[in-house]
Amino acid sequence: MLPLEIEHVTKRYGHEVVVDDLSFPVAPGRVTGFLGPNGAGKSTTMKILLDLASADAGHATIAGTRYRDLTDPARTVGVVLEPNAFHPGRSGRNHLQVLADGSGIPRTRIEELLETVQLSHAADRHVGGYSLGMRQRLGIAAALLGDPPVLVLDEPGNGLDPQGIRWLRDLLRARAAAGGTVFVSSHLLAEVEHLADEVVVISKGRLVATGALATLQKAGTSVRTPQGRRLTELLQAAGATVHNGPEGELVVRGLRTTDIGDRACAAGIVLHELTPRAGSLEELFLDWTSNDNSHPPTEVAETERQAVPL
Amino acid sequence: MTWLRLVRAEIRKLTTTKLPLGFLAVLVLIAGIDAAVVMFGTDMDGSKAFIATAADQQSLMAFAFNAMLGTGLFGAIAVAREYGHNTVVPTYLTCPRRMRAGLAQLTAVLLGGALLGLIGQGFIIAGVALALPSTEYGFLVTAGGVTQILAATTFAGAIGAVLGAGLGAVIRNLGGAVTAVVLALFMIPPLVVQLFSDAASWIPPTLGAVISGVSTDVNTWAALTALLTWGVLPAAAGLLLVQRRDVV
Repeated sequence: MLPLEIEHVTKRYGHEVVVDDLSFPVAPGRVTGFLGPNGAGKSTTMKILLDLASADAGHATIAGTRYRDLTDPARTVGVVLEPNAFHPGRSGRNHLQVLADGSGIPRTRIEELLETVQLSHAADRHVGGYSLGMRQRLGIAAALLGDPPVLVLDEPGNGLDPQGIRWLRDLLRARAAAGGTVFVSSHLLAEVEHLADEVVVISKGRLVATGALATLQKAGTSVRTPQGRRLTELLQAAGATVHNGPEGELVVRGLRTTDIGDRACAAGIVLHELTPRAGSLEELFLDWTSNDNSHPPTEVAETERQAVPL
Repeated sequence: MTWLRLVRAEIRKLTTTKLPLGFLAVLVLIAGIDAAVVMFGTDMDGSKAFIATAADQQSLMAFAFNAMLGTGLFGAIAVAREYGHNTVVPTYLTCPRRMRAGLAQLTAVLLGGALLGLIGQGFIIAGVALALPSTEYGFLVTAGGVTQILAATTFAGAIGAVLGAGLGAVIRNLGGAVTAVVLALFMIPPLVVQLFSDAASWIPPTLGAVISGVSTDVNTWAALTALLTWGVLPAAAGLLLVQRRDVV
């Protein structure tokens, strides 16, 4: 059981702050989705975790150990990071053989993995002739080479066909169910919705939401009121995000249902409906990442997180 | 043990693309050109005095500086392409201790450069030896002379490859690294000699000639040390920067 820990990580490129005092844990035994708009700092955070980039402040560890201090990295962490980290003139088999040589992994494991990712038929072809999906499968095979308990995957579903995405989902869920730590970034929100137990959402390098996905999805409230504008201003001032739902209701996130009722009552605002509401990940994502980032992150309490079944 | 595994992985990287084959093809071409020069070339007076003595033939075959330039390109391409193709990412994921990974890469490139130098010199000796019967001269270079130019070119090939690898690690761009090798070995030394004539004894062409036994500008050991310095300095700079910079 190897948890990941990102602690107060800050990274600047020149004057630009790409990761800003970011802290969150990634628990073993669960699939954690890492979400954020383009340029939010997801890849940079992963690179810092993997010691490919240095943090200006804070640190990231794997079971309390920095990546560079792991005794056997390939058998501890499997990584898919750069989508085209292959020499186009080298065969898929040789790419894996290079990695296996460096890690002392037996040749039989290569054949096994080529079979697993369904690339045996193309193993001796140059990677330059592979489709994006085939390259992605090769990258996943490389990540699995050392049969590591931790997987750190940046957009692993890119280019995969529906069967491939299904296969990947089953693989990652099986790994997590076996006690592995699976940390996966993706732009495919629908896929993350199917895959992740937990999500970490960042925007402009800062944490905007974290917790069990099922609980976060329920962390919204539908409100009907004849004084919509007043209530919206009141709740936004209290740190909530508010937008109009499909049937004219207000959809409020970032405040408990009881807090909304109390604040409306104190302000003398009439409410016709006050109902907990579930939202799609896409809806939540847009809520979390489209505000000005000045609000504290949405976080689900540990007790609620534990209550969500695998 | 771990380090030897890394060297093995780096050697596999070098041998599983067409890069060494391309360099071997160039070496065959150069050997063919040398053979053609022996068969068809003449001095200004129409004679073949340029192959008349053992010293002339040894001088014609001495390939150390050219090997250094060629393997400099080999080393630069081998390392800089890692950044171009992002294969440096799996390299440092496999071995996050960058000094260890960098040294393994330098070792593999050094061995590759030495081998290319040795093979290149071998091709040239063979080409000249095969071409000489078509002239009035036989193969006059002694076994000792042949051994010396083989050893010198092997050494220069290794040093050139390390120099190129160092520049590749510093520049991290294929075109830039190749240009830097050409500038460092081919363009800048003559310009420096124009400014400081004493420097002529310490530039790679002279040093290559000294260790090949076809020049006595400086002591052989001094030449070997100077050539080593030409390779070690950029390699050290590359290793230092690899430690300090983000990989991607």
